[in-house]
Amino acid sequence: MNIDSVKLKSLEKLAEQIRKDSIWMSTRAGTGHLGPALSISDIIAVLYGEIMKYNPKNPSWPDRDRFILSKGHGCLALYSALAQCGYFDRALLKEFCNRLDTMLPGHPERKLPGVEANTGSLGHGIAIGMGMAMAGKLANKDYRVFVITGDGELQEGSNWEAAMAAAHHKLDNLVVIVDRNKLQLGDFTENISQLEPLAKKWDSFGWAVKVIDGHNIKEITDVLSSIPLTRGKPSAIIASTIKSKGLKFAENKVEWHYKVLTEQQYKEIKDELSLEELAYE
Amino acid sequence: MSKIQTKSTRVAFAEALSEVGRSNSKVVTIAADSQSRHGEFVREFPERSFNVGIAEQTMIGVASGFALSGYIPVVTSYANFLAFRAIEQIRVDVATESLNVKMVGTDTGFSSQWLGFTHLALEDMAAISALPNIVIIDPADAVEAFEATKAIFDYDGPVYMRIRGRKEEPILPIKSRKFEIGKAQVLKPGKDILIIACGSSVYDSLQAAEILKDKNIDAMVVNMATIRPIDEKALSDLIPSFTKVITVECHNIRGGLGSTIAEFISERGINTQLLRMGVKERFGMAGSDEMLKQAFSLDGPGIARSAEKFLNEKCGR
Repeated sequence: MNIDSVKLKSLEKLAEQIRKDSIWMSTRAGTGHLGPALSISDIIAVLYGEIMKYNPKNPSWPDRDRFILSKGHGCLALYSALAQCGYFDRALLKEFCNRLDTMLPGHPERKLPGVEANTGSLGHGIAIGMGMAMAGKLANKDYRVFVITGDGELQEGSNWEAAMAAAHHKLDNLVVIVDRNKLQLGDFTENISQLEPLAKKWDSFGWAVKVIDGHNIKEITDVLSSIPLTRGKPSAIIASTIKSKGLKFAENKVEWHYKVLTEQQYKEIKDELSLEELAYE
Repeated sequence: MSKIQTKSTRVAFAEALSEVGRSNSKVVTIAADSQSRHGEFVREFPERSFNVGIAEQTMIGVASGFALSGYIPVVTSYANFLAFRAIEQIRVDVATESLNVKMVGTDTGFSSQWLGFTHLALEDMAAISALPNIVIIDPADAVEAFEATKAIFDYDGPVYMRIRGRKEEPILPIKSRKFEIGKAQVLKPGKDILIIACGSSVYDSLQAAEILKDKNIDAMVVNMATIRPIDEKALSDLIPSFTKVITVECHNIRGGLGSTIAEFISERGINTQLLRMGVKERFGMAGSDEMLKQAFSLDGPGIARSAEKFLNEKCGR
């Protein structure tokens, strides 16, 4: 599919705003997983800006496409996207980790409109998405289920149980997007427990696989517009990404898994990235 | 007890499942290679029967996905693999959201017999009861398993029901078989000692009461099929009339019936002494159901012996 330049621009703008909001929310709160949100910002922008059908005025619309952020710690990006798409007022973003029992905690919960599953414990999303995909087929609905997993997350065995079973059940309405930023909490994935050859793993589990540049909006849009990649197979998209993408000094650095800017750092990059005032009240 | 009919709780569960499946098209079964437990449902409703393979964590995740899509999934497995292998999925996916998932642990207590400690489920209720929101049921016999299975589908929320194996078990000679979640039932009146039991220990407790009768000890026997929510009304009506109370369960004395009653008695400040019968500070071992109950003094004579000794013991207060 060829997206026109106007659409491309608007998706790039959406992604940029996701990054700005993620930096803004996490700096204000003094906590948050910033790097893991910045690596998925472009993918989330394409999903919510172009690919998925949903109705923010009716979050439980039965025919909606489902999105599960299995790597729940990347929720800053999701919160921004949901706000921009009209699930709730942008003012709510101020609540990120900023109020007891907030609607926007450090991992997403279903109490926030638009969140489909509680995640935060890794290795849960694919199986839940699989259940939703099976339920969709049983109910003769044509919705799709999109799941973003981390790459380090794939070290959890539960993912591979679900991967095996989802292929067996021919769930071509299920899409897993792996955020392949090559870093996990402690080090590079390949230094901790090697994932490669990752595409071959998914292929051997019976999935249709495509490796893409996870920051190329056009490429992301093209691949997500051609789901299922193969009829009768679930789709695995390995999106090559950069952790902390867009924050030059933090890119591809392990310590930015669970780290946020200081106020001073925020001030220093505020103009360059045209960020909002932190505006504590 | 005179002539006794027998039936397996697993068979009764499967029969009830088919019945529920006929009246409610939202009911789906998800197996982790455990479809044999779903009986005729699988043949009657193949389109609503799913099997994810030997993958209990995936089974719970998939069930959650179905529940979030408006279905009522029932999952089954050997209780240990459900309540322990998948406990984190039960916690995060099911319990936090009170999803309408019916979880049935099978072959509980001593009923997996020769399969040994890996399969003998003696801590499953402790694992599940650590999590908020989940109803816990341990039916006394096949008739109660059948009625309870129907009842849990009338309840909107997560349920853990523990049933036993294929072995035929005695059906209790009780007239009223209406099952209500959270309701205790007095099966035998008595005034000397109160025996509260769940699961297959109900039958053994009735046997114990017969033995005690010959020794002029008049024991009351209560079937506490629902461990959570516990029937507080029944407990506050019954317990204060007794100086000695016994709980009996085919489970560890922690985290199941005994613990629940101990909490109730101490928090209410009721002046009574409690003996928790069950498995203490150890795992199970291979053996027949009868051998194991005997070894752990959880058969009729064992319970009667402990009750008599307990009754004659001076209370330490």
